[in-house]
Amino acid sequence: MDNTMLELCGLIKDFDGKRAVDDISITLKKGEILGLLGPNGAGKTTTIRMIMNIIAPDSGDIKILGEKFNEKLKDRIGYLPEERGLYRKMKVSETLQFFGRLKGMNSAFIKTRGEELLKKFDLFDYNDKKIEELSKGMAQKLQIITTIIHSPDLLILDEPFSGLDPINIELVKDLILEMKREGITIIFSTHLMDYAEKIVDSIVMVSKGKKVIDGNLNDVKSEYGKKFIKINYDGNGEFVSTLKYVKEFKDYGKEMEIELKDIKDKEKLLKDLVSKISINSFSLTEPSLNNIFIRNASGDSDLPGE
Amino acid sequence: MLQVILIFQGNKMKITAIIIREYKQIVKKKSFIIATILTPALMAAFIFIPMLLTKVGRQEKVIKIADYSEIIKGDFLEISKNNKYIKEKLKLKFIADTKLLDEQSSLIKNYEKSIEDKSNKDFVLADNYKNEILDKKIDGLLLIPTDIAETRRIYFCAENISDFEMNRFLNSSIKNILSSRILKEKIEDPGIVEIVQKATAEIKPDLFIIKEEGATKSSSGTAYMMSIFMLTILFSVLMGYGQLIMRGVIEEKNNRIVEVLISSTNTQSLFYGKIIGIGLAGLTQVGIWMVMGWLLMGKFSLGIDKSILNFLTLELGIYFIIFFIIGYFMYSILFSIVGASVNTDQEAQQYAAPITYLLIIPFMIGIMVTQNPNTPLVVGTSLFPLFTPTLMFMRISVATPAFSQILLSIALSVGFTILLAWLGAKIFRIGILMYGKKPSVKEIIKWIKYK
Repeated sequence: MDNTMLELCGLIKDFDGKRAVDDISITLKKGEILGLLGPNGAGKTTTIRMIMNIIAPDSGDIKILGEKFNEKLKDRIGYLPEERGLYRKMKVSETLQFFGRLKGMNSAFIKTRGEELLKKFDLFDYNDKKIEELSKGMAQKLQIITTIIHSPDLLILDEPFSGLDPINIELVKDLILEMKREGITIIFSTHLMDYAEKIVDSIVMVSKGKKVIDGNLNDVKSEYGKKFIKINYDGNGEFVSTLKYVKEFKDYGKEMEIELKDIKDKEKLLKDLVSKISINSFSLTEPSLNNIFIRNASGDSDLPGE
Repeated sequence: MLQVILIFQGNKMKITAIIIREYKQIVKKKSFIIATILTPALMAAFIFIPMLLTKVGRQEKVIKIADYSEIIKGDFLEISKNNKYIKEKLKLKFIADTKLLDEQSSLIKNYEKSIEDKSNKDFVLADNYKNEILDKKIDGLLLIPTDIAETRRIYFCAENISDFEMNRFLNSSIKNILSSRILKEKIEDPGIVEIVQKATAEIKPDLFIIKEEGATKSSSGTAYMMSIFMLTILFSVLMGYGQLIMRGVIEEKNNRIVEVLISSTNTQSLFYGKIIGIGLAGLTQVGIWMVMGWLLMGKFSLGIDKSILNFLTLELGIYFIIFFIIGYFMYSILFSIVGASVNTDQEAQQYAAPITYLLIIPFMIGIMVTQNPNTPLVVGTSLFPLFTPTLMFMRISVATPAFSQILLSIALSVGFTILLAWLGAKIFRIGILMYGKKPSVKEIIKWIKYK
């Protein structure tokens, strides 16, 4: 059986004459985690809204689990929208019951599954509390629970990390991996490359509505090769720009990512560095997604729709 | 309605979940509980307080009379002896203090002169009289000028001049005294005086409302007041629940819950689930009011004016429920369309204003309805679906329109509501997912075609 969970083919969407999504195609295999990456305004949310049939594409095809979008599919998808919201006056338990029922679950099953998830997320003590009594982080966790309560086959998360503190981000990351272990296929969007890098199997990078990079994470990275050197230093690193064998570099103040024209020059670089600044660490790395992204897409402007 | 049934069959559990959520959300609100209890209390107050005031607070009014003409006093005292109204409600005192009388007399003359030469000076009351009124020693001062027979002008000064019953009594008493005086002066034959008096005597109407069950005695005031009262309740319930739906939709739209809802179920389930859920809450409230009202009436029926009891029949109650349901669906669909099309409460108020006007217009036509419930204009407007719930109900409450007209109005408004629901669900689908920007015509067509 074909194990393609999601297939987008040549999606195009215009808003007021501006192209928000320009010929985006994505294929997602069963059990994979795909990161839809790009800065704000790149067209990520618009793409996800089209997958969810919230807005209609101007052209292009969308197939989910091999089918065109239909009512029956809704119970097999979990969707977390970009902006979060729950009914403030409802209790946690009522919230789970409501959203579970909307996904076609019976109330006894919602109770067992809900309690299991609440425990996992450290929210079980709040079962009888109203949403308005929860902190922002708790409410977000609860919303993620409502998204996965029906054990969907396909999970679509729009910016799942936004608005969370580092501890909760870790938690959400763990949860995404946990879902993967359960066999759930996941697509999520984020502009936080560093977090995505640690959990995705494959990536689709979009910029100004266009797909710029697409593929397996390792393939993407190795395509850029190990031409990158990462240093941690003290001192003034500006002189690096004058070194002729350096192709490009990115200075973060205490850390620097340097790309060499030829990796053989790495010893020469180290010598030059040591003579000018104090080096704390020096390592050969793959480029970060952030770096790859910056090289592929610069000058993004905010587009409507996000 | 067929749509709703189809959605129910295909999506029973989901729409039920939405109905239950909406219902609970309203019924659990403090404001709902307060309104449910307070409204019957206010209704009771509306009915009982005036009654209690007339019974318990039967306060005698003290009226001083300065009779400069000296032709009224004697006859007035004569009338007072056998007059029920004076015995119960008025205490008349004729002033004898000549000094004060003279002072006031010149003040009146000054005033009358200023009217003649058009200098329009203010009417001035002697300080003693003024203070007596302001200190509430007397309730009013009636000045009868010397030339009353020619000018037929009297002056009445008081803090409160809106006691219509008393004003009418004083006016008609003085008028009668004057007329019989004039007649007696000019005509010697007492038989003719009697004939003229008989010919000009006032008419006291007894009013009856005719229904199939028989005639019930009433006053035009009661029927008018009660039908306006019922209309007000209908209006405030339709407005109140319409606005609740509108605000609920805006809230879901703003916190994007709507995206989750739409990705779990279809828009129709959401649209109808919402309207049905909140409607059931409204019906619960109205039901509680009716039961409470019925219990109150049963308990205190002896005290209540019989004309009010005659007015509030079971039949009227049933019509109230019917027109409430039709009106509720009609207006809640309109309000939810507005909610789905806007982004903020302020915008919503602006766009909801025309709907409010639609609900207010019946109040203006309402006066015509009470005057004559069967003019073509009234019949026509009461058959116009948007006005049917209020105007047809009002017509039923003041008179009994032809049953065929009632049926026709119900059929028309139900048909209209179904059409509105069909269109509303489509517009709702477009509006609720649009943020910040208006959908293009192309987009609207795409969504209306979308199934």
